[in-house]
Amino acid sequence: MADRKDFESLAMPHLEAVYRAAVALCRDPGEAEDLVQTTYAKALARFDSFEPRSNVRAWLLRIMRNARIDALRHKKVVGATVSIEEARPAIADPPHADETAWTNAQDVLNNFPDDDVRRALGELPDDQRLTLFLVDVEGLSQAEAAEVLDVPPGTVKSRASRARETLRRKLMAYAKKFGWIGRDR
Amino acid sequence: MNHLTDEQFEDLLQGGATEPAHLAECRACRDRLAEHRAVRARLRSSFASVRADAALAERIRRSVGEPRPAAAPRSLRRPSRVHHLSRFAWAGLAAAAAVIVAAAIPAILYFTAPSMAVAAQAELVRIHEGNLAAHHEFYTDADPAKLADYLKTHLGFEPATPRLGQGMAMRGCCVAYFRGSAAGSYVVDTPRGPISIIVVPQTPESLGLGRVPGDGRTCWAGAFATNHIVAVRLGDYSYCAVGEVPQDLLTAILLDLGLAERS
Repeated sequence: MADRKDFESLAMPHLEAVYRAAVALCRDPGEAEDLVQTTYAKALARFDSFEPRSNVRAWLLRIMRNARIDALRHKKVVGATVSIEEARPAIADPPHADETAWTNAQDVLNNFPDDDVRRALGELPDDQRLTLFLVDVEGLSQAEAAEVLDVPPGTVKSRASRARETLRRKLMAYAKKFGWIGRDR
Repeated sequence: MNHLTDEQFEDLLQGGATEPAHLAECRACRDRLAEHRAVRARLRSSFASVRADAALAERIRRSVGEPRPAAAPRSLRRPSRVHHLSRFAWAGLAAAAAVIVAAAIPAILYFTAPSMAVAAQAELVRIHEGNLAAHHEFYTDADPAKLADYLKTHLGFEPATPRLGQGMAMRGCCVAYFRGSAAGSYVVDTPRGPISIIVVPQTPESLGLGRVPGDGRTCWAGAFATNHIVAVRLGDYSYCAVGEVPQDLLTAILLDLGLAERS
């Protein structure tokens, strides 16, 4: 039988990482908290099969990702209005005519409030959003992210690259809208 | 001219990949890499303020088990068998206890200094556990200039930072208090769990840590409760890595100190 104390000492230090991932996946803070609680409940139930030498954070994030997929499937079945497909960008991507370099990217990006950056991430499709979050925010290696996402490492690379490029375009579009960079670059 | 592929960019962003010669010749690829680095850094910093509510942590803690009772070593929790002993056995035990107490008092006096060292290790572990508390606030390395200012203001110097990548990420930095003085404290998420690096002026020996082999650099190590502690000396400070991870991982992280670059 799983030792609850062992579970607590192993899993609780990763609460912040799991919560950040939930915030990245869910737009609603209440939904994010529910997802975290579900993740820990499922993890405790499966703790007997946890391999002690494996990466606890990756294990928890994988459980969270699967719990999220289950929740979305359930919502789809019961007719809720949110699905993975519906998590597509709410703001149209800008035209692809902005291939020129964004030379002062760091300065421009610092103009964005944190909420706006997270909201732009939230407009990416679920698979891209979680991949980019794992690689860029949590700093997981490509192999670790592949383990969480249950895809080959090559898929992690292509998804992360595509996601970051989409995010860059979105942020650039916002920056143009607010006049932080020129419209006709 | 073939520009770098998405995979090559990802490998460069991940760290550890050798920069292709093309990068030196191609401004477009250099700019694109810089853009991706900037987006990544801003994305990471946008989550620095995202912290789980303490109430959420408490709810989860309650759901996975009862709140921890006051820590008691397993050996003390074994069922007692003394109620089966006879009156004569009690007398024998009392005599034995008197002998033990008589022997223990000089021993306690003899080991007073080591016990202070153990207290220092306990304090390091307490700082580490405090760093992991759900409500703990950090300064992140997303803005190196601000972080440097913060550290210089509170500590008077800027501690060396660990080399990241390979599944390791800086969670944040804060100022802790060790032996009544401000001490720098980093939290790093490693693949084996979170660790803290606590920077203190005391020597490793005074913390009760013993010398261990360290790949050309002198390292000191010890353990307190379930945590390993490894220290190296850089300049006037001891960098103490603390965590429930293997000692060799702590050693490897510390041996990279000073070589790290702020990105």
